[in-house]
Amino acid sequence: MKLGIMSFAHMHAYSYGDVIRQLSGVELVGVADLDQERGKQAADQLGTTYYSSYEELLKTKIDGVIITAANRDHRELTEMAAAAGKHILCEKPIATTLEDARAMEKVTREAGVKFQMAFPCRYIPAVHRLKAQYDSGSLGRLLAIRSTNHGRMPGGFFIDPEAAGGGAVIDHTVHLVDLVRWVFQTEFREVYCEMDRSFHDIPTEDCGLLTLELANGAFMTLDPSWSRPDCFYTWGDLYMQVVGTEMVTEVDMMRQSLERISFDRPNYQWEFWGANSDYYLVKEFVESFREDREPSITAQDGIRALEVALGAYESARTGRPVKIGLA
Amino acid sequence: MKVGIVGLGTMGTTHAASYQRIADCELVAVADIQLERCKTVAERYGVRSYASLGEMLASETLDVVDVCLPTHLHREHVEMAAAAGKHVFCEKPLARNRQEGEAMVEACRKAGVTLGIGHVVRFFPEYRRAKEIIESGQLGKVGTVYTYRGGGGFPMAWQDWYANYQWSGGLTLDMIIHDFDFLRWTLGEVKRVYAKSTFGRAYNRLEHVLVSLRFESGAIANVEGSWLDIGGFGTKFEFACEKGLLTYNSKDATSFRSYQQRTGLESVQGVAVPESVVDKDPYTQELEHFVGCLKRGEEPLISGDGALGAVDIAMAALESIKTGNPVTLSSERG
Ligand SMILES: NC(=O)c1ccc[n+]([C@@H]2O[C@H](COP(=O)([O-])OP(=O)(O)OC[C@H]3O[C@@H](n4cnc5c(N)ncnc54)[C@H](O)[C@@H]3O)[C@@H](O)[C@H]2O)c1
Repeated sequence: MKLGIMSFAHMHAYSYGDVIRQLSGVELVGVADLDQERGKQAADQLGTTYYSSYEELLKTKIDGVIITAANRDHRELTEMAAAAGKHILCEKPIATTLEDARAMEKVTREAGVKFQMAFPCRYIPAVHRLKAQYDSGSLGRLLAIRSTNHGRMPGGFFIDPEAAGGGAVIDHTVHLVDLVRWVFQTEFREVYCEMDRSFHDIPTEDCGLLTLELANGAFMTLDPSWSRPDCFYTWGDLYMQVVGTEMVTEVDMMRQSLERISFDRPNYQWEFWGANSDYYLVKEFVESFREDREPSITAQDGIRALEVALGAYESARTGRPVKIGLA
Repeated sequence: MKVGIVGLGTMGTTHAASYQRIADCELVAVADIQLERCKTVAERYGVRSYASLGEMLASETLDVVDVCLPTHLHREHVEMAAAAGKHVFCEKPLARNRQEGEAMVEACRKAGVTLGIGHVVRFFPEYRRAKEIIESGQLGKVGTVYTYRGGGGFPMAWQDWYANYQWSGGLTLDMIIHDFDFLRWTLGEVKRVYAKSTFGRAYNRLEHVLVSLRFESGAIANVEGSWLDIGGFGTKFEFACEKGLLTYNSKDATSFRSYQQRTGLESVQGVAVPESVVDKDPYTQELEHFVGCLKRGEEPLISGDGALGAVDIAMAALESIKTGNPVTLSSERG
């Protein structure tokens, strides 16, 4: 199976490129990036060919593409790839507006190509344990979740409100929303959000707190803030404390790390040794078209997560809780 | 200073022990409707015992009455002590609502006695240190805050009063009010409150609360409290600031650890009284501070007025839990 990568605007592209090389029977044929310098450098690093336009890459004999452009550009690139008959793995969030997201779902369905969302957190082993606990009934009925997806301020297109569709809230809300929908097979009903720009001199918000109501009767808070200092010992965290009637369970992905203390700076760092969820994400993508079946993370999943993030912005604007999924 | 305690449950017995360590201060009498309990404590410290505050006031010459009763009994007993001209130390929360609290503050003002409230977290060294660092400005402006308190299971007490939400106010008023008070003391006034509780969604002893606070300063706080068993009582906080993080987890930050071997036959009794292994425990410090203020004629760190601010936040959270809407606090409060 042959893959290409469209844009390196999102840093996850490098990790996807790495895991392609680890997957047997999968080949990274080339990368395209309108930023020549960034694209050439990425191609070098990944040992593949650089294309200066998306059209050129799409003309090659690739089966699928990974779209890691700025959020706003997901739609245009999806339309191009679908028209060229290529399967698509799309970085999160699916888009910056629901209109774009729905158009992406439609165009890929009509073109008969696979479309998968990049929600790699579904492949965290601890998340699987949580799901097994819940599915077996041992967690009991879900009551409440406290969750955080903290990070450093990423810069780049992420802090351009047009290109990203917002700041920390749109960037970091969707992972946990998708996880909770998937693990507990429920939807979000309502969102309330406080947000602000408190840490950095940037055009978007860099912190917030979402309080959510779930359709199954539980509630949740989610902190998506870019509140980790630049010198933080890892990129951030993905944490959930799940309160059930029978059990309280914590999932803390990054805790599977060694603590490394060195003479050189940075003096203190975490060395992650847990499973590489990007590997399983790309593997699932390739298998979906190899086996000609629906990918396990669909455009609908991307749309549902985006609805919650957009609802959070509306709540912050109006100061009211906002119902989700009525648009 | 002669002190009498009314209510000898978890807190009353903690205070009784603390007074033994405070100079120029003497515990002379204790009162509790459970006479057996009262006698045990009275014998331990060689003090007299009574069945009620009324009896204790009638027979003793006291300077201070320390009220360690369930929350719904605070008002009646604080007013009775004030009317008898005694200074009053009263456990937190001040009262079940602002109205009751204001009446208590007013009663003490009229009687010319001092009222101090047991917001003991202000005397925990880790919390004090955090406040110092935040206030020093070294870390810059505070952006987001997280606090946690609980995990020790549901408190068992006299007549199961914690389970009666009209009496205790539940987890929000009873326990995380500690964090409301601490955060307000450290960050200033709260502007907006939004909150969710499992109360009404599950067996009411499984209470778990998540609160969203927006401060006038702009800071956004997530306050979590739990009456579930999450591996024993603990507290945590994180201040994320412009120039760095300040974090604390009581489970890690301890200089002393020991493990009780379990036979499986024990049952949990009483409410958790968090402990810091320090030279002088926070409960003793809080009472020593109060008694010292009385001697020097100063206002205590946590007066009735100060405690009202924390009650307001808790009441706003309870209202938000009920209505599902955010509650805005007016900045003109006392
Ligand atoms: N500062 C803290 O960390 C902390 C911790 C726990 C409790 N508290 C507060 O302390 C107060 C007491 O809580 P507790 O857990 O000690 O309760 P408890 O149930 O253990 O003790 C209450 C005692 O009051 C007695 N009593 C009831 N009615 C009485 C009356 N009319 N006259 C005399 N005695 C009477 C009961 O017999 C019982 O011994 C509450 O307001 C609670 O919120 C504070």
